[in-house]
Amino acid sequence: MTWTQAAFGRITLGLTALGFVILLALGVGLVWLVQETRSYANAVVATQQIRVSNAEVMASLQDAVTGQRGYLLTREPAYLAPYRSAQAQLPQELERLAAQVAADGGLIEAQPQLRAAVETKLAELEQGIALVEAGDIQAAIALVRGGRGKLLMDQVRAQIDGVEQRTSARQQQRSASLERSGQLLLSGALLGLLVIALVSFGTLRAARSYTRDLEAAQAALQHANAGLEQRVATRTGSLMAANEEIQRFAYIVSHDLRAPLVNVMGFTQELETAIVAVRGLMERAEAEAPALVTQEVRDAVGEDIPEAIGFIRSSTNRMDRLIGAILALSREGRRRLTAEPVAVQALLEGLSNSLHHQLDAAGAELRLQAPFPTLRTDRLALEQILGNLLDNAVKYLDPARPGRILVRARREAGLHAVDVVDNGRGIAQRDHSRVFELFRRSGPQDKPGEGIGLAHVRALARRMGGDIRLASRLGEGSVFTLLLPDVLPAPDTDTANTLEDQPA
Amino acid sequence: MNVSAQAVSIVMIEDDEGHARLIEKNLKRAGVYNDVLHLASGTAAVEHLFGPQRQAGAPVLVLLDLNLPDMSGIDILARLKADAELRLAPVIVLTTTDDDREIRRCYELGCSVYITKPVNYETFAQAVRQLGLFLAVIQVPPTAP
Repeated sequence: MTWTQAAFGRITLGLTALGFVILLALGVGLVWLVQETRSYANAVVATQQIRVSNAEVMASLQDAVTGQRGYLLTREPAYLAPYRSAQAQLPQELERLAAQVAADGGLIEAQPQLRAAVETKLAELEQGIALVEAGDIQAAIALVRGGRGKLLMDQVRAQIDGVEQRTSARQQQRSASLERSGQLLLSGALLGLLVIALVSFGTLRAARSYTRDLEAAQAALQHANAGLEQRVATRTGSLMAANEEIQRFAYIVSHDLRAPLVNVMGFTQELETAIVAVRGLMERAEAEAPALVTQEVRDAVGEDIPEAIGFIRSSTNRMDRLIGAILALSREGRRRLTAEPVAVQALLEGLSNSLHHQLDAAGAELRLQAPFPTLRTDRLALEQILGNLLDNAVKYLDPARPGRILVRARREAGLHAVDVVDNGRGIAQRDHSRVFELFRRSGPQDKPGEGIGLAHVRALARRMGGDIRLASRLGEGSVFTLLLPDVLPAPDTDTANTLEDQPA
Repeated sequence: MNVSAQAVSIVMIEDDEGHARLIEKNLKRAGVYNDVLHLASGTAAVEHLFGPQRQAGAPVLVLLDLNLPDMSGIDILARLKADAELRLAPVIVLTTTDDDREIRRCYELGCSVYITKPVNYETFAQAVRQLGLFLAVIQVPPTAP
């Protein structure tokens, strides 16, 4: 990913996060606005109720006036029914109105004046009725004509109008607020929608950008993998070829080295045969003409030549053994390994039996700690490896303590690990890797051997898809760990065939 | 043709002069006095055995080294065993290796004896002596007249 892409990614991410924050704030604001709107609406309803109550007071008073007039004109008590009813209701209605005005925050001081005006008017009406009941109709009509009733009614109406005006003004104000709040709500919702759209767009864009980056990375990875496989295949091929070349080289070299050795040894034998004749001649000369035989001749025939021949012999014998070992190793390397089910326990028991005499002679004990796995591998190779490790364990025990050899199996990193544990003389740290090299040995050279066994073991273990490892402390003992897979890996058939058909 | 009167001659195909000399000496020492013809290369051997001047009907024994510089002894062995006349001639393979596969191959092709050239010369002399005994036995070859 380039820098600009990274920056773009960061900016997109930042903007998206900001969008979410704005959206959250908008949500909170909208909830608050909804509450506001509801309270405005409630307030508008409350003012409406005040107006209704106000009108009811006026209507009741007018009912009372109408009833009284009817009674004055007709003196029919039936007309008094609406008057009485209004007279009974008005105090409650006034009280309700006063409560509503107080609750709504209206002009509470105007209410006692309204009440007083209504009560005065009602008293005036009552006075007229009382005069009629007393039979003084003239006085009652005179009271109406006096105009005081109209005056009182106008006072009440003025009060009622005042309440109506103030309430109406409040209602208008609140309606306007309601309207504004509604508009705000709408704008907020629209803004919210817009922000949602923007955030969605940003998120989508970022996701698409990331997906593209991811795809690009995946493609690059695939490409790299393909290249890697190709390289591994090439490298494996050249390693195989190199290995084959080394095997062939070892074979040819050891084969051709043996030819001159046959001559060296054969003609040494000829020399030995010849020296017998020379020695006979010298002995005759010593008997017949002692003056001819000098000390020099006597030394040459009696000591120098036999000694030289002896060294030539021992050296060629040793060389022959080494060449034989290389040949055997190279032949082993060319042998095709074949997988078959091998029960490790049975194989170890067989080896243990064949080691019986050596173990007895050394006074040592070999213990097989079950369970052991059954592997699909090359039986002969496994037998050679374990046989070699057990041989070594017995061979290099410490005479100072009774020998204890233990074999056990366990799992390690998907492989089978077989430990051969001994309490023998051990191997110094500096020799831990050397012992696996050809012709290299460790410790006092008091046992026969050419330094081939462990080199062979390692070569075999690696060919079988495993390895061999050593943990040891000088003077305490060693643990050789053989690592092997469940199943022998398939051999490279081409290489195997080439080696198989190679002429000797 | 009186076959029994004719002594077997030994054809030794060996590129290493030293080995050839040692073989000859030890044959004599083991009491084998048949004629020994030494051929130092595969080409010379093929020329002698299959060339125009070959002596038809003469009984031969072939001592064959497998590791020749110009061709494989196995090829010569195969040609010998494919030849109508020479396929009856005993072939003794002498070589420096004791490779199982190689030995098996030689016996499959029909060699009579396979001897590994030993470094320890005593065993070699013994082997050659046994060979001499063997040569004495087959000195009257069952060649068809």
